[in-house]
Amino acid sequence: MTNRERAMNILHYQPADRMPAVHFGYWPELLQEWAQQGKIPEELAYDNWDGSEKDIALDKLIGWDFNWSKTSGARNGLMPGFETKTLEVLPDGSRRVQSWTGVIERIKPGVTSIPSEDDYILKDREAFETLYRPKMQFSPERVDLEYFRRFNETRDWDRPIGLHLGSVLGSIRDMTSVVGMSYLLYDEDEDLFADIVDTYAEMQYQCVKAILETGAKFDFGHYWEDICFKNGPLLSPDMFDELCAKHYKKRNDLCHQYGIDVISLDCDGVTEKLLPTWFENGVNTMFPIEIGVWGDQFEPARKKYGKGMLGVGGMDKTALRKDKAAVDAEIERLKRLSAMGGFIPCPDHRLMPGTKFELVQYYAEEIKKIQL
Amino acid sequence: MSIYSEISENLQRGKAKVVKALVEQAVADGCPAAEILGEGLLAGMNVVGDKFKKNEVYVPEVLVAARAMNMGIEVLKPLLAEEGVESAGRVCIGTVQGDLHDIGKNLVKMMMEGKGLEVIDLGTDVAPETFVQTAIEQDCDIICCSALLTTTMEVMADVVKKAEEAGIRDRVKIMVGGAPVTDAFCQQIGADKYTSDAASAADAAVALCKEE
Repeated sequence: MTNRERAMNILHYQPADRMPAVHFGYWPELLQEWAQQGKIPEELAYDNWDGSEKDIALDKLIGWDFNWSKTSGARNGLMPGFETKTLEVLPDGSRRVQSWTGVIERIKPGVTSIPSEDDYILKDREAFETLYRPKMQFSPERVDLEYFRRFNETRDWDRPIGLHLGSVLGSIRDMTSVVGMSYLLYDEDEDLFADIVDTYAEMQYQCVKAILETGAKFDFGHYWEDICFKNGPLLSPDMFDELCAKHYKKRNDLCHQYGIDVISLDCDGVTEKLLPTWFENGVNTMFPIEIGVWGDQFEPARKKYGKGMLGVGGMDKTALRKDKAAVDAEIERLKRLSAMGGFIPCPDHRLMPGTKFELVQYYAEEIKKIQL
Repeated sequence: MSIYSEISENLQRGKAKVVKALVEQAVADGCPAAEILGEGLLAGMNVVGDKFKKNEVYVPEVLVAARAMNMGIEVLKPLLAEEGVESAGRVCIGTVQGDLHDIGKNLVKMMMEGKGLEVIDLGTDVAPETFVQTAIEQDCDIICCSALLTTTMEVMADVVKKAEEAGIRDRVKIMVGGAPVTDAFCQQIGADKYTSDAASAADAAVALCKEE
C-alpha cells in the first residue's frame, strides 16, 4: 500500500496494512540543534518547511512516512501584503516591526518565541476600505492555474496531499491582533468585523473554487485557524458560530462536490467548544489535538460526535524529549485510540528544541507496528 | 439605578467612553474616589473575572472591560492619591526571559488591577535578576511570572533560585502561570502558587497579600 492509501483508508475505516508514521514538522531551532549534534546534515536545518524536498529528505533519515501538513493552495493572504519594515529600535535592542499583515510586532534579537503584538492598523472602517479591502479581492494571479492543471501528473501519489482551504478567522486575528479583534468585535464596530470576515472568506472561496475547477485531485482539505488557547476559544463560541459557520459550510460543500470528504483543521489549544461549529459545517478531522501542553483530547470528541469525527495528531510530543519508556507509554495510549479507527497518531505540534533525535527515530519505527 | 451600578454594568459591557463619562460625572457629583473605584469599577471587573473563570465570558470581554476600567481609573488616579487610598498589595509581573508572548501576562495584570492590586509590568523577556531586583526596590509582595513555551518555563526555576539567594523568600511570594505551566511544575520549582486562569491568579494574589 502507498502511504496515501494507508492514511485515507484509515480515515475511511477501511483496512490498512499498517499505521503510517506521520509528523507535523519541527521548530527551526530543533533542526539547528540536531545539525550541531551531527544528527542531520547542516543543509537540512535551514529553509526546511512542510512537504519541501528538505522535509522529505529528513523524513527518510528519521523514518517518517509523511508530514500531514503538506498542502497546496492559492496565494490566499493579503495581496500584496504590507511591506515588512522596522518602525523603531528600542533601547533594549528589540525592534517594533510592521508585519505583512499590518500588525506591529515586537521582535527581539536572539529571542525566537512568538513575537508580542504592540499595535495594529486595521482599527476602523476607513483603514479597512482603503488599506485592506483592496488586498482581499480575488484575482487570477492568486491561483497558478497551469500548476494545478498539471497537478495530477506531477504530484506525489505515495503520500496524501491536502488542498489548503485557508482560514476563516485566524487570518483576520493575525491582521487585528487579539486585542484589536476584541475591541472591534465587542465594542467598536461589530458590523465592520463581520464585513472583514465576509470579504476575506469570499476571496478564499473563489481561490478554492478556481483550483478545484482545474481538476486537480486532493486527498483532503485543510484549514489553519489557531483560535484557541489553554482554556478554550479566544472568543465566545456563539459569536464564532455567527461569524464563521456559513463560510465553513460554503467552502466545505464545494469540497464535497469535488469528492473531498476529509477536511482537517489546524487549531492549537483546547478546541472542544468550537467543535460544534466546525463539525456541523463539514470540518471532520481534528488536528493536531494538543494533548501534551494544553490537554486537548480526541476521545471525548469521538464519543460525542461519533465515527464521523476523525483525528490526526494527539501524540504527546513532550515524550520525545524524555526517554524510551515515555515513548512506549505514549504508543500504548495511541494504540487504544487507533483501535477506534478514523484516527492517525501524529505529534501534537511541531517538535521543539530538546527533542531527542534517536527517540523520534524510535517512535517513527514503533508507530508503524500498530496493528489495525 | 445608582451611578456605581451604571459604571459597573457599562464596564462589564466594555463601554469605555461611557464608563469614563460616568466616572467624571460621579466625581462632579461629589462621590468619593475610593467608592467610585470600589463600588463601580472594581465591582464591575469582579463580575467579569467571575464569569471568565466560569467560561461565561471570553478573552475579548475581559480586554474591553479592562480598557473601560483603565479609562475610569485614569480619571480617579489623582483623587485616589489625595484621599490616600492604598492598594491591596503590590505585584511585579513579567513574561520570563526568552519569551515574548504577553497576552496571558496582560490578562493577569488586568485582572489583578481589577482587584485593586498595584501591578508593576516588567514586560516580556524579563531576566530572573530583574524580577528579584524590582521586588526588592519596589517592595513588592508578589513576583508573578508568565511563560508560553515549554522551553522558557524553566526560567521560572531561576527566578525562585535568585529570590532565595537574595534572601527575600520570607516576604515575597512567587506565582507562576502560562500555557505549559502546571501545579506540579510550580511545586517542583518551589514557587508558591500556580493558577490556571487570569481571574484565579488575581484572586490568589489578593489572598497571598492578605496572608502577609
